[in-house]
Amino acid sequence: MGSTTSVAGQRQHAHHFKNGREEFEACKQGMWIFLVTEVLFFSGLFLAYAILRVFYPEMVAAAHHELDWKMGGLNTVVLLISSWTMARAVSAAQRGQAQKVVSFLLATFICAGIFMCVKYMEYSHKIHEGLLPGSLFSFKDLLSVDKVGLFFSVYFVMTGIHGLHVLIGMGLILWIMKRASRNEFGPNYFTPVEMLGLYWHFVDLVWIYLFPLLYLVS
Amino acid sequence: MSHHDHHEGHHHVLSDSTALKTILALLSLTVITVAIARVDLGVLNFPVAMFVASVKAVIVCSIFMGLKYENRENTVIFSTSLLFMLIFFILTFGDLLTRGDVYVKGQIIPAELQAAGPSKFSKPWIESPEIIAHGKGLFAAQCTSCHGDGGAGNGPAAAGLNPKPRNFTVGEGWKNGRKGSQIFGTLTKGLNTMPAFGSLPSEDRWALAHYVRTLGPHSAEKDSDADLAKVGVDPNQEGGGGSAEKSIPLEAAIEILSES
Repeated sequence: MGSTTSVAGQRQHAHHFKNGREEFEACKQGMWIFLVTEVLFFSGLFLAYAILRVFYPEMVAAAHHELDWKMGGLNTVVLLISSWTMARAVSAAQRGQAQKVVSFLLATFICAGIFMCVKYMEYSHKIHEGLLPGSLFSFKDLLSVDKVGLFFSVYFVMTGIHGLHVLIGMGLILWIMKRASRNEFGPNYFTPVEMLGLYWHFVDLVWIYLFPLLYLVS
Repeated sequence: MSHHDHHEGHHHVLSDSTALKTILALLSLTVITVAIARVDLGVLNFPVAMFVASVKAVIVCSIFMGLKYENRENTVIFSTSLLFMLIFFILTFGDLLTRGDVYVKGQIIPAELQAAGPSKFSKPWIESPEIIAHGKGLFAAQCTSCHGDGGAGNGPAAAGLNPKPRNFTVGEGWKNGRKGSQIFGTLTKGLNTMPAFGSLPSEDRWALAHYVRTLGPHSAEKDSDADLAKVGVDPNQEGGGGSAEKSIPLEAAIEILSES
């Protein structure tokens, strides 16, 4: 946007900002507003889940037993660790340690990859067993439970959209890694790393709620 | 003043040790989340799980996302999303949890009708102007939402029902027949989308049956003793075919309406 990038994060701010600091704060505020829209986006799904819990508590309790809490727990740990490595990547960018930025982003990317592999295993198991949304549901042991397909509709949509966020995040991580390896970031310019961090922590935030809601219902 | 001056020293850099302490705290809270899910705390399980998740969320927001280290603006912005989420939940549940008396109008039996008062009609299976008048009042309160004010099967809720509610103004097509006892039987047990009204006192069901018969062409068919016996009435004894059932067919009615 009319700005140029030179070595080690020396960067001229866009002309409509007073200085780089102002530009950074404006970017960050825009990112937070984007995250507000993300919360509202996910809130529709959380509401759908809440309606199921209120109207069909026994169904939700019976259906959640088919989710493996160990898999969900493993993914929670993996995603939390990825948030930590992402925070370290941002700090490294602020200190101008390009190599560390790349390493921590790579670690974050690997965690995201593990998350998606576990998700893949969970999904393929459910598809195999017929634990599917709505009328596709064909898992024999639970066929007698009224409206049980609804739980899996909500499960697949919620975790699917969250997984899509993880995949998008993985793409963004690769892009920022490439830019970091070109030494684009430093104490004076690390906006893209910071924004990626905010996005990634948000993805973690959603999972922090999804895990107990879907896997640990009592 | 170059932009360089504005940059240096202003951004908070998360220290490595704080980052480490944060992740350790988050991992410990995850262990706690799993552990308490294994313990039966009764109704408390859910709120406790949500509380622990929220503690984790606040830690991520304030430290990893840095809200703690900046001015309040972004915190306020982000909090508005939670406010709107709350409004979203309150309005939706405010609707869903109070729908019963809107959509199931006609299927809810008012308490004053359920309370079995002293019987006004000793042999309610016998048609009389008084019992028809009583049935007319009940019909207006209980039946018109589906069957329509004039009983033509065109009430406001009829549009969503399949099969459609019975049109009482014509004499043909009555699946269970049009004798008083047959209508009484349909009221007691229900028929297709018509819920059972067995929770109404039997004399009220008889009153409705007599009134409904007056809405269509005159029928000369009378109940024989055998007809009455089928619905549990002994013509030689007072009463009216057993007492009212206790349960309200509310759930059945919701089911029917939600499927249509």
